[in-house]
Amino acid sequence: MSTPAVTIEHVTKRFSGHTAVKNLSFAVPSGGIFGLLGPNGAGKSTTIRMIMDIIEPDEGKVSLFGSSASSRDLSERVGFLPEERGLYKKMRILDHLAFLGEVKGMRSGDAKSKAGKWLHRLGLGDWGLKKVEDLSKGMQQKVQFAGALIHDPELVILDEPFSGLDPVNLQVMKDVVVEIARSGRTVLFSTHIMEQAERMCDRIVIIARGEKVVDGTVADVKAGFGDRNIALTFSSGKEAAERVMSDRSLLAKVDDYGASAEVSLADGAHSQQLLLALVNAGVGLTRFEVVEPSLQAIFIAKVGNADVAPANAEAA
Amino acid sequence: MNKTFAIVRREFVARVRTRAFVIATLLLPLFLVIVSVVPAMMMRGGDRTTRIAIVDATTDGLGARVEAALAGESLSAKPDAPKRYSVRRVDAAGRFATVRDSLVAQTGLSRDKYPETLDGVLVLGDSMLQSGNVEYLGSNTSGFESMALLEGSLSRVLRQTRLAHSGIDPAVLNDALKGADLKTTKVSGGKATGESGAASFMIGYFMAFVLYLGVVLYGQQTMMSVIEEKTSRIMEVLVSSVRPFQMLLGKILGVGLTGLLQMAIWGGTLYLVTSQRIHIAALFHVSPDAMQQFPIPTMSAALFAIFLAYFILGFLLYGALYAAIGSMCNSTQDAQQYVAVLTPMLMISFFAVFAIFKDPTGGIGVPMSMIPFFSQIAMPVRWSLSAVPPAQLVTSLALGIGALLGVTWVAGRIYRTGILMYGKKPTFREIFRWIRAN
Repeated sequence: MSTPAVTIEHVTKRFSGHTAVKNLSFAVPSGGIFGLLGPNGAGKSTTIRMIMDIIEPDEGKVSLFGSSASSRDLSERVGFLPEERGLYKKMRILDHLAFLGEVKGMRSGDAKSKAGKWLHRLGLGDWGLKKVEDLSKGMQQKVQFAGALIHDPELVILDEPFSGLDPVNLQVMKDVVVEIARSGRTVLFSTHIMEQAERMCDRIVIIARGEKVVDGTVADVKAGFGDRNIALTFSSGKEAAERVMSDRSLLAKVDDYGASAEVSLADGAHSQQLLLALVNAGVGLTRFEVVEPSLQAIFIAKVGNADVAPANAEAA
Repeated sequence: MNKTFAIVRREFVARVRTRAFVIATLLLPLFLVIVSVVPAMMMRGGDRTTRIAIVDATTDGLGARVEAALAGESLSAKPDAPKRYSVRRVDAAGRFATVRDSLVAQTGLSRDKYPETLDGVLVLGDSMLQSGNVEYLGSNTSGFESMALLEGSLSRVLRQTRLAHSGIDPAVLNDALKGADLKTTKVSGGKATGESGAASFMIGYFMAFVLYLGVVLYGQQTMMSVIEEKTSRIMEVLVSSVRPFQMLLGKILGVGLTGLLQMAIWGGTLYLVTSQRIHIAALFHVSPDAMQQFPIPTMSAALFAIFLAYFILGFLLYGALYAAIGSMCNSTQDAQQYVAVLTPMLMISFFAVFAIFKDPTGGIGVPMSMIPFFSQIAMPVRWSLSAVPPAQLVTSLALGIGALLGVTWVAGRIYRTGILMYGKKPTFREIFRWIRAN
């Protein structure tokens, strides 16, 4: 197996009063798309900042490409989009992109021509001589996104890359990310939007309150969670169905949408038993399907009981 | 190093491109040129030959004598100098009012359309010898100097005529009427400076002012620029690619170069304007003679070099501190508390200049020109006023560079921690902890 792009070993980071990241360990394999998932305030950005050597862990070790050098010294191989976006407002866009390339060690001429290409690709070709402050927020975000990628890094770290984008731009950026992964490079991105992660990631880590709760390939995570989710659509006998579904020995969890429901089987229960119970109760069914759990469902199952709402996390 | 250079260039270009920089840089030289050339240009009006018509209603030849006296006046003492007046005398015995009015009608017309137009009409009658009253109707009556000269010439003719009427020999008269001419040279500290005291004061004050303003303006700009990077969060991208010390260095050098460019343009203009002003004046068709009448101080090449050297030293010293302050704060308001420590030091170094004017080698001038944080204003001003021993200059520079190294080390350590600190501003105790931390 090749050296992981990022290795995090027993990392802990405390800020005055609370522990942001607690004994966290995971490895980002080289190549592919890796998702760092978690609710707001879970410690995703703190973890990413430690990977980027912006802050130092109190305990544990972070290494990139199996090297002991700090990520700043390796920054020519790493692209970074921070969660808090920021650009020099008065700078021309083309110059700004080129500057971002230069601080990553690119030669000035290369950076300029590369910047032009990126602007063209992101549909900002005519805006190169405009100032950053003349751009809309979405455009600025694209510029910054390009800034993280301009030096063709082999590892790209994106903190909430898709937040605040309209569907068109979201599609453009998603395509770029997928293309990077396809070319054999590594993308690590954080998000709290599960649908994105599910569609794009090869591997995920879910963290909550600074601790890891799920780690593995998306396929493994789903398999491990079991084919224990069933989608139901009712045609009649909804009241009878509700009685069946309230049986906690049969079902652990029920998402009732009225005409349909998504349910999770309780430990030891079998899908066959549920079908039998529903039929015996006289419930009319147009759909009974054992479904793969969505990441959203896994996320809520794993994190939800810990508490998803950041307000609760604060109190805990 | 490449990365530091990228930051230096970004800072420099971002600043030089602003409209404020361009305007400020151009305005001062323009002002200097105007101040040095315009007075002479204004004077030029008075230095043109004045065309005067004399309405002569006198009967005893007084009008002819006035004509001869005016025709003998030159614009300057040089032998080939142009005549001050071009005089035409019209005999007006009996029809005095008619002649006067017809001449007045030719006065003060546009010189382009009527090259023969008159500047003024002088009306002479027999009564003037007694009363001394002479009527002058002219377009240049508001020129105090021209009027005083004309009055002087007329007075002399009247005086000579009256005395001659009393039977005094004209040769004795001419000798008796010769006046004194005072030639003045300013002596300072036992040396003839060749320029007036006011002129030395002017250049010293100008330098002190520009140095003070330069350090404050560019220091504040460095600080604002760091705060901007913090609040716009571009800091995170930078700090993950570049060492904090490289960032600090790049920023100070970038802003410093901008300042240096501006100072070089300003200082260079002052140097050119003062040393080449005769040629500059020629561009505006002002004669060298006219320029000489307005002595303005000269800035020597050596003084210019000293000025730039101390601007660099002073800016780097204060710039590093301003940058460190910026790194500790998240808003300009926050920063004011810390800036309040620097401002008095700059004020003291500026006001010490007045003690130096009084006595360049005195008990305030010498120490102030040695101590870092003060010497960046005191030394150039001292240099402009009196000879500074080379040993003192070297000591002053060495102390300045030593202080610079120390300050940069401290500022680098504050900066390193400060740039990633958001939230409340640190206490002085916390800052000391940052400096001590490894």
